[in-house]
Amino acid sequence: MASVMLPVEPTPGFSFENCRRNEFLKAKGYKAPVATKTGTTIVGCVFADGVILGADTRATAGSIVADKECAKIHYMAKNMYCCGAGTAADTEATTALISSQLELHRLNTGRVVPVVTAATMLKQMLFRYQGHIGAALILGGVDSNGSHLYTIAPQGSTSKNPFTSMGSGSLAAMSILEKCWKPNMTEEEAKKVIRDAIAAGIFNDLGSGSNVDLCVIRKGSVEYVKPYEKANVKGTRTGNYKFKRGTTEVLSKKVVPIIIEEEIVKPISSDSQMDTS
Amino acid sequence: MAMMDVQSGDSFESFTGLDANDWLNASVRTGTTLMAAEYDGGVVIAADSRTTMGSYVANRVTNKLYKITNNIYSCRSGSAADTQAISDIVSYHLGFHSIEMGEMPLVETAANIFREIIYNYRESLMAGIIVAGWDNRKGGQVYMVPLGGMIMRQKVAIGGSGSTYIYGYIDQEYKEGMTKEECINFCKRGIELAITRDGSSGGVARIGIINKDSLNEKMERRTFTGDLHPRFYEG
Amino acid sequence: MSSIGTGYDLSASQFSPDGRVFQVEYAQKAVENSGTVVGLRGTDGVVLAVEKLITSKLYEPGTNTRIFNVDTHIGMAVSGLISDARQLVENAKTEASNYRSQYGNNIPLKYLNDRVSMYMHAYTLYSAIRPYGCSVLVSSWDEVDGPSLYMMDPSGVSYGYYGCAVGKAKQAAKTEIEKLKLHDMKIEDLVKEAAKIIYLVHDELKDKQFELELSWIGKNTNGLHQRVPLKVFQDAEKYAKAAMEEDSDSNSEDM
Repeated sequence: MASVMLPVEPTPGFSFENCRRNEFLKAKGYKAPVATKTGTTIVGCVFADGVILGADTRATAGSIVADKECAKIHYMAKNMYCCGAGTAADTEATTALISSQLELHRLNTGRVVPVVTAATMLKQMLFRYQGHIGAALILGGVDSNGSHLYTIAPQGSTSKNPFTSMGSGSLAAMSILEKCWKPNMTEEEAKKVIRDAIAAGIFNDLGSGSNVDLCVIRKGSVEYVKPYEKANVKGTRTGNYKFKRGTTEVLSKKVVPIIIEEEIVKPISSDSQMDTS
Repeated sequence: MAMMDVQSGDSFESFTGLDANDWLNASVRTGTTLMAAEYDGGVVIAADSRTTMGSYVANRVTNKLYKITNNIYSCRSGSAADTQAISDIVSYHLGFHSIEMGEMPLVETAANIFREIIYNYRESLMAGIIVAGWDNRKGGQVYMVPLGGMIMRQKVAIGGSGSTYIYGYIDQEYKEGMTKEECINFCKRGIELAITRDGSSGGVARIGIINKDSLNEKMERRTFTGDLHPRFYEG
Repeated sequence: MSSIGTGYDLSASQFSPDGRVFQVEYAQKAVENSGTVVGLRGTDGVVLAVEKLITSKLYEPGTNTRIFNVDTHIGMAVSGLISDARQLVENAKTEASNYRSQYGNNIPLKYLNDRVSMYMHAYTLYSAIRPYGCSVLVSSWDEVDGPSLYMMDPSGVSYGYYGCAVGKAKQAAKTEIEKLKLHDMKIEDLVKEAAKIIYLVHDELKDKQFELELSWIGKNTNGLHQRVPLKVFQDAEKYAKAAMEEDSDSNSEDM
C-alpha cells in the first residue's frame, strides 16, 4: 500500500517500462528528450615510459555549453585513468562503479590491478547494458606487464592500440595522432602530440572546447595536469568604452526626499511560536 | 574507401551538427573479410584489419583472429561487441571444459558452443563467425557459424562483407592437400583481393597458422602491410 | 560388515563412530545379491556379459534385460536393483544427449563416468534419501582413445578397468578374469571368455535358471554398442558349455 507514511520503494536498476510508450510517442512525431552529451575530444597514447591521456573540458547540452571546465579524465586506480566521452552521467557513473570494484579487487588480491582487468570489467558491464549506457572510454594505465591503452565503445567492444581518440572531435584528433605519433616517444614529445590532438578537437569540433587536460601515467607515478593549457584564453580589450564623468551635460538637479507615513512594530509573543512538537 | 556521407539536409537540424555525424551513434562493426582453409597438416586463417563505425575507420589495425584456446581461434565478423563477448564466453567455457575433461578441447566442440550461443540469441546478436583450429581427432578443421546459428564444416570458408567478392576466387584456386606455404599464399591473396574491392575491408592482411605445433607455443602469425600487397588491375 | 548398525544405520547422512556409512554398505550388499555382471576390455573393444537370474518359469524370456544403450557409442550393464538401475540409465542417457546437443559430438566415456558417479555419490549425502542399490559397468570404444571400461558402485566411487566383475559371484569371476591375457585379446575371443565365466560362476543349486546377456563395442562394430549377433551368441554359449563339461570332467578325475 502506498501512502505518505509508507512510500513505494522504487526497484533498483534501470526501468524499461516506458519503452513501448516512448516508441509510440516517437512514431507520432514527439521528439524524445536528449541527455547531456559531452561532445568531446579525448585521446590517449603510449610513450616510452608510460601512457598519456588527454581531454578537452567542454560539456554540452544540445547547443548550450553546459560546463566550460568539466573533468573528463576519471580516476580508476592509482595506476589507471580513464577518459570518457558520450553521456556525461554514464561515463561518470561507469568509471566510478568500476573504480570501486577495482579497489576491492586490489585489496582482495593484494597486488596492483592489471589494466586488462579494468578493461574487461568495463566491457562486460557495457555489453550487459547493450549500448544503453552511452559511455565511450579510453582507458590507460601501467602495470607489471607494461603500458596499456584500451578503447572501449558503448556497446562493449574493445581494442588495444598504441594511440587512440574518441568523441565527436576524434576525427580531428586522429589526424594529428596519425601524423605525429611515433613509437618510443619521450614524455615531452608525447605531451606535445596529445596537446595538439586535443587542440585540433577544440578548434575544429563544435562539441569540444575550452581547455586541454592531461594525465601522464608512468610506472609508479601519475601527473594529472588540469588545465594543461587554456586553449581559449579570453583576450584583453585594447580600447576603453567608459565615458568620463561629465560627458553628458547636467541641465538641472532635484532631490525628492522619501516621506515616512506610518511605522508599525508587531511583537511576537512566546506562545505563538512555531509548533515544533 | 568510403568518404564521409553528407546527404540530405535534414540531418543538419541541430546547431552543433552532431546529428550529421553518423559514426557518433553507429555501432562498432567489423565490416570484414575472413578466410580459413584446411591444408595438409593444419589450417590457415586470415583476415583484414579494418573496424568501422558507420563510415569512420575506428581501428585500422584490428586483430580479428581471436584466440579461444591454444589450438582454436575464431574469425569474427558482424558487431565487434557481440563477437568479442561471444568469443570471451566460449573461451571461458572451453577452458573450464578442458580442465573437466583433462584434455584439450575439440574444434568441433568449440564450434558447437558458438552455434548454441548464436542460435539461442539469434534475435539480438549480429555475429558471423568462422571457427578454425587443430585437434588430435580430426586434425585441422574449419567450421562456419553464420548469422542464424547454423553450423557447417567446410574445407575452406570465407566470411564477412568482403567475402562476396572472392567466391569465384576460392572456387577456382582452392585445392585439397595444399602445403602450408601454398595455403598461406592462397589466403593472403584472397584477403588482398577483397580489400581492393570491399569498402569496409582494409588495412593489413593478418594470417594465422594452426597445426599440431600450436598446442604448446603461440600460434604462428604473419602480417602483410599494404605496401606488400600486390597491385591488381586498376584501370 | 555384518555388524549391526546400532542406530547409526538409519540414515545415509550420518557416520558411525568408526567412520562408516552403513546405508552405503547396505546398498553394496544389495548388489552382492544380484546376478553376476562381467566386463572385459581387450585390444580392440569391450564385452559386457550379464547373468540374468530367472526367479520364475512364468516370466517371458528377453524381458527386464540388464544391458542398455546409453548412446550409440556407450553401453551400460547393471547389477543390483533393476528399478534403481533403470533410473541411472535414464540419467546417463540424459547426460549423453545433453552433451551431444551442446557440444555436437559424442560424450567421452570418462566424462560420462564422472557425471553419473557424481550423481550416485549425491545420493549418499542426505538423510531423506537412500543410495542407489546397484553397481553399473559402462563401456565404449573410439578410434583415438581405443576401448574403455568403467565400473561405479553405490558409494559413487568408480575406476577404469581392464576387466571387472560385480554381483553374486564376483570373487569367482575375478579369479577367472585374472587368468586371461586381456592385453592381447581380440573382441571375438572376449565374447567367448565372458560367456564362459558367466556359465562357470553360475550357482545351479541356489539359482536354478538364468539368461545370458552379451553385448560388445569395438572396431568391429564401428564404435557402436550392440548386443552380439545371434550366431556369435550361440557360438559363445556353445564354447562356454563345452568348457563347463571339460571342467567338470577334469574335476571328477581329480576327485
